[in-house]
Amino acid sequence: MFKKILIANRGEIALRIIRTCKELEIPTVAVYSEADKDSLHVIFADEAVCIGPAQSKESYLKIPSIIAAAEVTGADAIHPGYGFLAENAEFSEICDNSNIKFIGPSPDMINRMGDKALAKKTMQKVGVPVVPGSEGALKNIDEAKSIAKKIGYPIMLKASAGGGGKGMRIVWKEEELEKAYQNASAEAEAAFNNGEMYLEKFVENPHHVEIQIMGDSFGNVYQYGERDCTIQRRHQKLIEETPSPFITEETRKKMAEAAILGAKSVNYQGAGTVEFLVDKNQNFYFIEMNTRIQVEHPISEMVNNVDLIKQQIIVAAGKKITEIPNKQVGHCFEFRINAEDPENNFRPTPGKINYLHFPGGFGVRIDSHIYNQYTVQPYYDSLIAKMIVWGSNRNHAIARAKRAFEEFAIEGIKTTIPFHMEVLGNEKFLNAQYDTSFIDKHFLK
Amino acid sequence: MDINEIKKLIKIVENSKISDFSISEGDLKIKISKNGKITQNFTELPGKETVIHQVSAQPVISNKDTENETNHNKSNANSNIHVVTSPIVGTFYRAPAPDADPYVKVGDTVSVGSVLCIVEAMKLMNEIESDIDGKIVKILVDNETPVEFNQPLFEIEKS
Repeated sequence: MFKKILIANRGEIALRIIRTCKELEIPTVAVYSEADKDSLHVIFADEAVCIGPAQSKESYLKIPSIIAAAEVTGADAIHPGYGFLAENAEFSEICDNSNIKFIGPSPDMINRMGDKALAKKTMQKVGVPVVPGSEGALKNIDEAKSIAKKIGYPIMLKASAGGGGKGMRIVWKEEELEKAYQNASAEAEAAFNNGEMYLEKFVENPHHVEIQIMGDSFGNVYQYGERDCTIQRRHQKLIEETPSPFITEETRKKMAEAAILGAKSVNYQGAGTVEFLVDKNQNFYFIEMNTRIQVEHPISEMVNNVDLIKQQIIVAAGKKITEIPNKQVGHCFEFRINAEDPENNFRPTPGKINYLHFPGGFGVRIDSHIYNQYTVQPYYDSLIAKMIVWGSNRNHAIARAKRAFEEFAIEGIKTTIPFHMEVLGNEKFLNAQYDTSFIDKHFLK
Repeated sequence: MDINEIKKLIKIVENSKISDFSISEGDLKIKISKNGKITQNFTELPGKETVIHQVSAQPVISNKDTENETNHNKSNANSNIHVVTSPIVGTFYRAPAPDADPYVKVGDTVSVGSVLCIVEAMKLMNEIESDIDGKIVKILVDNETPVEFNQPLFEIEKS
């Protein structure tokens, strides 16, 4: 195995990775910005290196600082977590050149799947169903216009290098296309340094269902079931659950097969997520593949009884996957708790937590880096905790989640806990009658 | 507008109650927003490198020196001592080569731009220069040891 792993991330995921490394008895190195000097991942790691000032660009995104930190501590592997440099092909390549194992895909794989338009083309070639749209990136607005006319409005313009909801626009009629194209492209250029766009049929009020896969260097690819991530606000996931209460057993089987087929066709290694949209008639369409561990990975862990971070490390070390999925057991939700004020348009609320009490009990898992008296920093994303609740079926998991939220106290800052409690009391949610418009329809303030 | 005027501008906004500020002069347009959100629109002026630092709760850290409140003048009654910190992560070397003389010793006089040491990262040797005139009073790190961002390296008595 590796002799030392550096975690090129922060917050809850850094802590998550450190925990698995400790269980594997692999020493860890944390890197941190000056703003994170009191962070838990710094305290729990065996070694820690300050790599820069608060701004991500000067610290967590600064490749030379991270590689230098690995060099001075003698780390022979780097786990990038999610976000930051996790899907940065340049970083993956520099790790290779520096003789450090990047616990993630090769630079080539990152590029192939990171280019959303190209990924779609790749999947389509092996027979994975895709949303009708442009064949790869659009050359210009005129091409967009003619393709849109052919497949019919409404259409969605998406950035090839996009993620997190940026560079996306829905267009309902032709008159709106030009302006939407320019806006989306500019947004993508600013966020990802790449204004390239592609186009798809807009599937109205779909379910967003993704499949967790893992591949090793022996050609094995397994799937760990699906995650329904339909409950979103502005394309940001808020609540995820498995199994999906919406898809039928037949759809489940077909989607799992498609995900494995797609992953095998590119010899995928490591953890990956194949994302689909499912329309109200159970038609499913590939939209993208994420070549990293995802925020919501814990719900797959709970129903499969596996440690996905451990499998990532094992695969990166050149070994066979050891935790092979069989049948998923029970039902699991993840609730993302953000330092945001749900009563004020989810405005970020950094600041000091002056009282904290985590819920506990059977089936309640908290993945979080916060602690009593911790100050949530304004420089990074607002996710402060994930509450993961497992139950023997959906209703049981809901009852347990309600109970757990009643025990959950975070004071000193506003959080989205009250929002989640409201969702858990909502009839549409309880009856699993929701789609991606759920938040806007029922919680628009 | 040159880099010093831009730095002055940032300082003014930082110390005021202004939250959004923009100014344009010829090809150069600057927009400064507080609370961590920065939009930068600028075209590089020919022959000059324009560097804009973010306005934030942290004081601006430029390449060589630091006016950081957490600096180690606290323990020093003599406020004439200036601490040079490492701007990068890497390995600290006192000399340009293993068998060469160190760049500086305690007691040496240095001026702005004098090379004090090397911090090596990713096989690149980065020369760290002094940003003030003065005398080396203390060398805080041993040769060939790792240093992290902002780690204090030298104490220099200002002349």
